[in-house]
Amino acid sequence: MKMLSVRDLSVAFGGVLALSEVSFDVAEGEIVGIIGPNGAGKTTLLNTISGLSRASQGEIHFAGTRITGRRPTEIAALGLGRTFQMSQLFPGMTVLENVMTGLHLRTRASALAAAFRTRGMRAEEEEAAGKAWQALAYVGMERFAHRPGTELSFGQQRIVEIARTLVSEPKLVLLDEPAVGLSVTRVAELDGLLRRIRDERGVTFVMIEHVVRLVMDVCDRVVVLNYGMKIEDGRPEEVSANGQVIEAYLGSGFDAARRSS
Amino acid sequence: MRLAFGSRQFLALLFLGLAIIPWVANPYILYVANLALLYIILALGLNLLVGYAGQFALANAAMFGIGAYGTGLLEVRLGLPYLLAAPGGALLAMLIGTAITFPALRLSGIYLALSTLAFAMFSQWVLLHWYSVTYGGGGFRVPNLDLSPLPIGPDLGIYYLSWVVTLVLVVLAWSLVRSRIGRAFVAIRDGEIAAQSLGIDLLRYKALAFALSGFYAGVAGALYTPLLGYISPEGFDLFQMIIQKSMIVVGGMGSIVGSVIGATVMVALLELLREFKSTQEIVFGSILIAFVLFRPRGIVTLLRRLPGWEEPLSSFDRRRYVVSGPASPAAAAAATGLARAAAEPARGEGR
Repeated sequence: MKMLSVRDLSVAFGGVLALSEVSFDVAEGEIVGIIGPNGAGKTTLLNTISGLSRASQGEIHFAGTRITGRRPTEIAALGLGRTFQMSQLFPGMTVLENVMTGLHLRTRASALAAAFRTRGMRAEEEEAAGKAWQALAYVGMERFAHRPGTELSFGQQRIVEIARTLVSEPKLVLLDEPAVGLSVTRVAELDGLLRRIRDERGVTFVMIEHVVRLVMDVCDRVVVLNYGMKIEDGRPEEVSANGQVIEAYLGSGFDAARRSS
Repeated sequence: MRLAFGSRQFLALLFLGLAIIPWVANPYILYVANLALLYIILALGLNLLVGYAGQFALANAAMFGIGAYGTGLLEVRLGLPYLLAAPGGALLAMLIGTAITFPALRLSGIYLALSTLAFAMFSQWVLLHWYSVTYGGGGFRVPNLDLSPLPIGPDLGIYYLSWVVTLVLVVLAWSLVRSRIGRAFVAIRDGEIAAQSLGIDLLRYKALAFALSGFYAGVAGALYTPLLGYISPEGFDLFQMIIQKSMIVVGGMGSIVGSVIGATVMVALLELLREFKSTQEIVFGSILIAFVLFRPRGIVTLLRRLPGWEEPLSSFDRRRYVVSGPASPAAAAAATGLARAAAEPARGEGR
């Protein structure tokens, strides 16, 4: 089954074309990497899929539903999770409360129910805390549950962010550079976590990543963007052998430049 | 059971103290204490909007005025009894607050501040110039509070009415923020984009925050009417806004206890400075700037170092979710591979 289908997607900001007629599919249970030089349109692609940016042209289907032009809230409600390049943990909350916020769409209590602490609201709150705790335990972060999110290191915050999306049982998670700032051995552990989530929970991933090691190890398929266009789409080893991809990253004058220096 | 003194006990003690004030204090102190109760309501409402939901709006003084005028005019113009006019005034403030700020909901930061300030100026202008309804700049007198058949005079009557209403509103706000609603507010304040992608509807929760602060300000206005016995536009001007703003900054943004402390402290200060009228603005302005610079999260940050003073954004049984052993990063690092992956400080990670 197709989890995500992007067809002829173009996104323009003013006169600048950030994405131009990009098409690709993601099957259920796949881990797909998006790579490309800076400014290639990778984050714009994720933003458009999650509804934060508007498509000027083209269509996006998610789990059989057309989501082009829908609001981020609606798309999230369909089961799309997202993490960000800069950590987006809420500094004013504890780690557990951050993960509980991931359950926003799975909880119902109204403002009145909350203000008057109805029995249903209290039961729901306990249940949410339990689920959030489990999600933290699943990624091995439950020890930090009651600490402010800001006390955690960069890498820890990213793992909590993954737990925060995981707790709502998403079908597809978009990761924006999950390994940025991690050392090689840490990357290998992140690699293991993503595979484990995919295998045990059936979550599909689309991730932007610059860390070649993670892309090569964990991705089933890689989509390469350059100047807003898709220039390659294939298995990691195919992509790394592609001359066009090397050119996009290093420039066509790479050999000449190396000889002269 | 361990004897604890935390924020709940502090609030309980404060309200007990306020309950016995009529027996021990003179009418002037009683009036000041009553004023403090109203400002606690105002600060709570403003803090829900600004401190929790992060919407920097400047219309709260206007909402306060609409609540007061709504109540007074319903009494004087339509002859409604106070106990019907007061909820009417409060609801009017909530409705106008929500409706008028609706265009402002799509704005943020300085644009939101400016547009709500413009609204506040506009409502001030309406109070001054719509003479046929509002009696203009001279204001108007409202009848004394009549709580008969209860055997209680107008001064004590409004005091205890304020006491009960304030206590209820403190408890409701306290409960509200410790829920998915409070978390949605803070999520919007701390990161709109992340909040959105977790499915939090920005417009809906911003509107809710505006409605709540409008309602709280409206209730305070409805109680202000019989306390003063006289209403005029000047009590609801920009200085009123600065007073309220300085209360939540001094007490603590994003804190219920902070709202209560800030309101109490600043009302006391306001009264101490009453004899030196012209210095009020200067002192309040200086305090506001000093706190913004040196203690931006207010007095409560000092109290939060004491056990029992934290104000969670959730309400579950914490004892069920405790990991045995020290919860230090180093201990966690030894425990699981993944935590170890994450436990090292960010600066230690190579790119």
